[in-house]
Amino acid sequence: MSLSRRQALLGSAAGTAALATGLYRPAIAASEPIRIGYLPALTGPSSSTGIGINRGTELAVKEINDAGGINGRQIELIVRDTQSDPTKAVNAATELTRRHKVHVIWGPLNSGEALAATPLIARDGIPQMHPCWVDTLTDVKKYPLAFRNAPTNQQIGGAANHYVVNILKAKKVAVISDTTGYGTASLNAYVPMLKTLAAEVVYEGSVESNNPDLKPELLRMQSAGAQAIMPWSVNAGFLSRIINARAEMNWDIPIVGQTTLGSGQTKALLKKPEYWEKVYPNNFRNCSYNAGGALPPRTVEFVERIRKANIEMSDTLLWWIALGYDGPRLMAEAIKAAGSAPEEIAGYWNKVKGWPGVYGSITWTPDLHDGFQNEEIVMCQANSLRDGAFTLAPGYTG
Amino acid sequence: MNDGATGPLASAGRTRFGRLEAHLPSVLLAAVGAALPLIGDSYLGVIATRAAIYWVLVSGLNLVVGFAGQIAIGWVALLTLGAYATSVLSAGTVLPEVSPFLALLAAGLLGAIFGVIIGLPALRLRTFYFAMTTLGFATIVTQVALAWKSVTGGGVGVPGPVFAWPFASPWGFYYFCLGLAVIATWMTTNIAASRFGRSLVAIRDAEVAAEAVGIHKPSLLVTVFLFSGAVAAIAGGLFASLQSYITPDAFTFDLSVLFFIAILIGGRGSILGPLLGTIILTALPEFAAPLVAWSTFLYAVLLLVIVLAVPGGIADLLDYKNRRPLQRHREIRPQPALLAHIMPHSEQANLLRLEHLTLSFGGVRAIDGVELEIKAGEVHGLIGPNGSGKTTTLNVICGYYPPQHGLVRLNDKVLGPAAPHTRARHRIARTFQTPRLVGAASVLENVMIGGTTAGRASFVEALLSLPRQHRDEQQARAAAMAALAAVGLDQLALVRADRLQHSELRFVEIARALMSRPLFLLLDEPAAGLTVDEIKRLGALIVTISRQGTGVLLVEHHADMIFDICDRVTVLNLGKVLASGTPAEIRGHREVINAYLGA
Amino acid sequence: MLLSIVSYGLALGAVYALIGITYNVMFAASRVFSFTAGTVGMLGGVIGALLINRLGLPVALGFLLTLGAGAGLGIITEMVTVRPVLKSLDQHLYVLSTLAFALMLQQLTAIEWSTEPQPFPRLLPLGPGIFDQQFWLPMLACGVTIAGLEWLYRHTLVGRAFLAIAEDNYAARALGLPEQGLRIASYALAGMIGTLAGFSSGEMMLAYFGNGPLLNFYGFVPVALGGMGSNRGAVAGGLALGLFQQTANFLVGGIFASVAIFVVFIIVLLVRPEGFAGAAPARRV
Repeated sequence: MSLSRRQALLGSAAGTAALATGLYRPAIAASEPIRIGYLPALTGPSSSTGIGINRGTELAVKEINDAGGINGRQIELIVRDTQSDPTKAVNAATELTRRHKVHVIWGPLNSGEALAATPLIARDGIPQMHPCWVDTLTDVKKYPLAFRNAPTNQQIGGAANHYVVNILKAKKVAVISDTTGYGTASLNAYVPMLKTLAAEVVYEGSVESNNPDLKPELLRMQSAGAQAIMPWSVNAGFLSRIINARAEMNWDIPIVGQTTLGSGQTKALLKKPEYWEKVYPNNFRNCSYNAGGALPPRTVEFVERIRKANIEMSDTLLWWIALGYDGPRLMAEAIKAAGSAPEEIAGYWNKVKGWPGVYGSITWTPDLHDGFQNEEIVMCQANSLRDGAFTLAPGYTG
Repeated sequence: MNDGATGPLASAGRTRFGRLEAHLPSVLLAAVGAALPLIGDSYLGVIATRAAIYWVLVSGLNLVVGFAGQIAIGWVALLTLGAYATSVLSAGTVLPEVSPFLALLAAGLLGAIFGVIIGLPALRLRTFYFAMTTLGFATIVTQVALAWKSVTGGGVGVPGPVFAWPFASPWGFYYFCLGLAVIATWMTTNIAASRFGRSLVAIRDAEVAAEAVGIHKPSLLVTVFLFSGAVAAIAGGLFASLQSYITPDAFTFDLSVLFFIAILIGGRGSILGPLLGTIILTALPEFAAPLVAWSTFLYAVLLLVIVLAVPGGIADLLDYKNRRPLQRHREIRPQPALLAHIMPHSEQANLLRLEHLTLSFGGVRAIDGVELEIKAGEVHGLIGPNGSGKTTTLNVICGYYPPQHGLVRLNDKVLGPAAPHTRARHRIARTFQTPRLVGAASVLENVMIGGTTAGRASFVEALLSLPRQHRDEQQARAAAMAALAAVGLDQLALVRADRLQHSELRFVEIARALMSRPLFLLLDEPAAGLTVDEIKRLGALIVTISRQGTGVLLVEHHADMIFDICDRVTVLNLGKVLASGTPAEIRGHREVINAYLGA
Repeated sequence: MLLSIVSYGLALGAVYALIGITYNVMFAASRVFSFTAGTVGMLGGVIGALLINRLGLPVALGFLLTLGAGAGLGIITEMVTVRPVLKSLDQHLYVLSTLAFALMLQQLTAIEWSTEPQPFPRLLPLGPGIFDQQFWLPMLACGVTIAGLEWLYRHTLVGRAFLAIAEDNYAARALGLPEQGLRIASYALAGMIGTLAGFSSGEMMLAYFGNGPLLNFYGFVPVALGGMGSNRGAVAGGLALGLFQQTANFLVGGIFASVAIFVVFIIVLLVRPEGFAGAAPARRV
């Protein structure tokens, strides 16, 4: 149950008035709602992820509240749309920490916003969980209360590199990105990693994402003898142009990279469906079909729950919903077990070990707040999309 | 300059109360700003800090867009530049680490340089072209930030600077930004009330007249771009600190649109209006959450409505003084006797000589070998049928067109061709066939524009409101009031010029021309549209002007007036001098009668 | 390799040229440069994809309706953003009003359509050969447009009236030409040319709201280079720009290509503000 901001405002005003009377304070504090500040990007250029995650988050909060809340206290989800704009994210984060005095923050959901909002949230001493991949977004010294329930870019790239070099046995690799923050950062990080795997990076380049013609880039890769293309971008237009250009050149090499390679947006932009062959995006073991077409048991149960709640699946991805679903549940668990004070929440999270999320298993330690496990990051077949999930790429054992 | 609250219009009241009243809204805003922490809502504090930072940028951009009328829509480029410069310098990743305050100063310097680079095309290009180039710059800066990874961190970005005690806490930083915003307001208000502010508005609304009074557009614009670029980059440094971390995607084009539209909503030529506009546009999306996604759309709608319905913006709505009705059936009664106050009698024997001037437009000879002598203390009439080259002659004298042959000589000096802004220094002044005035400025301000070359204070002195600037203003105001009294318009000094009748505008132009105490005054059909009585009074005024020692060249169609007041008359026909002599000689000249005067 | 640069370069260049012509046709009728030129181009792709892909209309019908929508947008531009500010042309209010309208269209598309690039249908049932339709369709559209305009201007009465207005609209009005009617017609025509640019390049550039600002800028460069009002200049400038961009893209990479274009644009304008084919304005006082 997400409240509109207006309702949330009224709610907190009422809470303040009650506190001011003093007498009933203990009773009220005990039944006072748990305020989760939530910073999704529901509009703007990178909102499709946010919309998917939002479905899972709303479902989790509804389930917890319907089941009686956290120790009898309801969750109040205070939502501020960040519009994929770091400036708005800073305003929104401040509003949540300082005006609404939330207990914990979920988000921001994309890295550009998280880079700006995380230092502010840390300064205000509010525990934060986010699913953003940029490595510097967790740092136990700078942001002791910030936790990540998703892989880092390092892990994502590592998994893709591992697949290309060790499973596909490609030794000459072309790495291309768009010019966004995400794209260039990934390119910078992954090229050296590939080199440590003894692969040769025969092409690396950042190209503006709405450049209509990527053929020259691919021709250069080809003449450099590339055996696999690794594109890093979240822009479906950019990725589809790479896939289309590869097919039109009749060039039969694998494309391995970012999850968006497998999105419906990318598919819609392909000239022919069969161009999607030999395209392997990142994915997550828990949200992938094995060779036999089955999901892991805990995911099967989750999908069932999504179906019952009538949540739209066709235009989004299972792992987005799963990720959105895991966040509030891990918050609720900490508050239920340890309490709602910042140090109580963070203290509990610091000791989480093998927490069985739908999206992935989470293990945090006081020294490392990146909870996702390397072996749960896999590659999948782009053209196998069914009900928001993919089949593992060839070479993995389910 | 239609801002009743902060422009010189109100300070022309010359009372202490008048000055106080003029600054009251800004002072009130600053007081509210200073008291804001008492509310204790530090979220509000962040929004207010943001508004203060944006205003630091907008205050400078306001001089470019609101005053000079240059359509700079990509100013976010300078915010980006300042943000990166401050962050990178204070982090010490590229150069040795410096204090964030020094880094902010360095960013200001860099911003000043880039302000000029971005502004440079405005000196040569048409409006739309300039708008396009600023747009291009905005895109390029972001792309460079992305590509230049070793310095800017590419897409990953860099942490913003943290300013040391006492500005480290959120409220401390707020006061830092508020303080800079107050300084920016004060400085731009000073500029608005100086000859520089008036000159900028003149460039915007009456460029040709601005050149005639000696305003050199390129150097003035470069000065303004320096200032505007510096404050924009400083705002960028503050922005980076508020954001705590900057990536190229923080610098959206929407932000540029916000800055630009804040000015236009506020009203061109005002300080208070754009200030309110900035506050409203910064705060509005925060308090209208359901509309957040539509905010840029709504800004655009607002811009369209403003342009079509309220071109004056908020400032116009606040300008209650100019809604008081004016007296009807006004008569202009010049008082030539007062002329002595502004132009002392001179016995110098100055001479303006045109030697064999020739100029053709696309094969048509507009003037063809014109020879003419105008002497100090004389009224020289220039008549001829339409298209005979009268106005073209004036334009060549004033340096708007370079003649293909011949030259214009003042005493022994040859006046440079194609340099209209130099004529005011030679004390050659003119009026125009269609009055070219700044409609949005008061009559007094319009006349003061004529005294631009008399100003001694530099831009920096004006910015800081130093003593020399005060002296300049007092002298200019006194001279302008005297000139207005002489032409009989002193009662209307504080009225917006666009509320005047056409005939009154002609006299405003004469008053403006008198501000330079001209050696030569060129009048282009000053009597057009005047009543018979007004023409008589105008004639008396012109004669008195010439008797003070000024040479007057009078282009007119009213033959009666010409023959009444001129000492000499030259007749042009088809670009050639048909006849020249005393009025009596001309009246009897057969060819003139045939060609022009009729039987 | 060379073929790729040339075909893509010319195709892009043709799109830029068409947007340049859109600017010019509006300018000729009203002395106004409108920020809507690139936006209408973007909408050509979006409306085409909406009608054919989403609503399932046949290609021919979708094409005609897209052009109709372009004409409608042109007329609205004229009525809402140009006519009211024509009397104060020297205040340049048109820059603001057309910017506002372009931003409105842009934002509306972002919110109601999508901020992601969307597919555009393949127009002709031909497979991608060496010379793909996504390249030659924009070139064909550009060729047809320029030939059509030449014919219109030289061989029809209406066209001559257009030229008369462009030359001197006071004189044209004095001659009794219906100046306002011709202006509306010009804007409708410009809207159609703009949407044609977006429609014919839909497969190449996709139905994407971000194409608006891109086309606004790159479509204006040929106008600035070729001289305002000169359609032939715009075509030459557009094709040169497209080729230059693709060559630079290939040789030095995307970011530097756009920086290079921008620098060339600024330098040309500073050195020759009237463009290569234009004449300096003679009178101003």
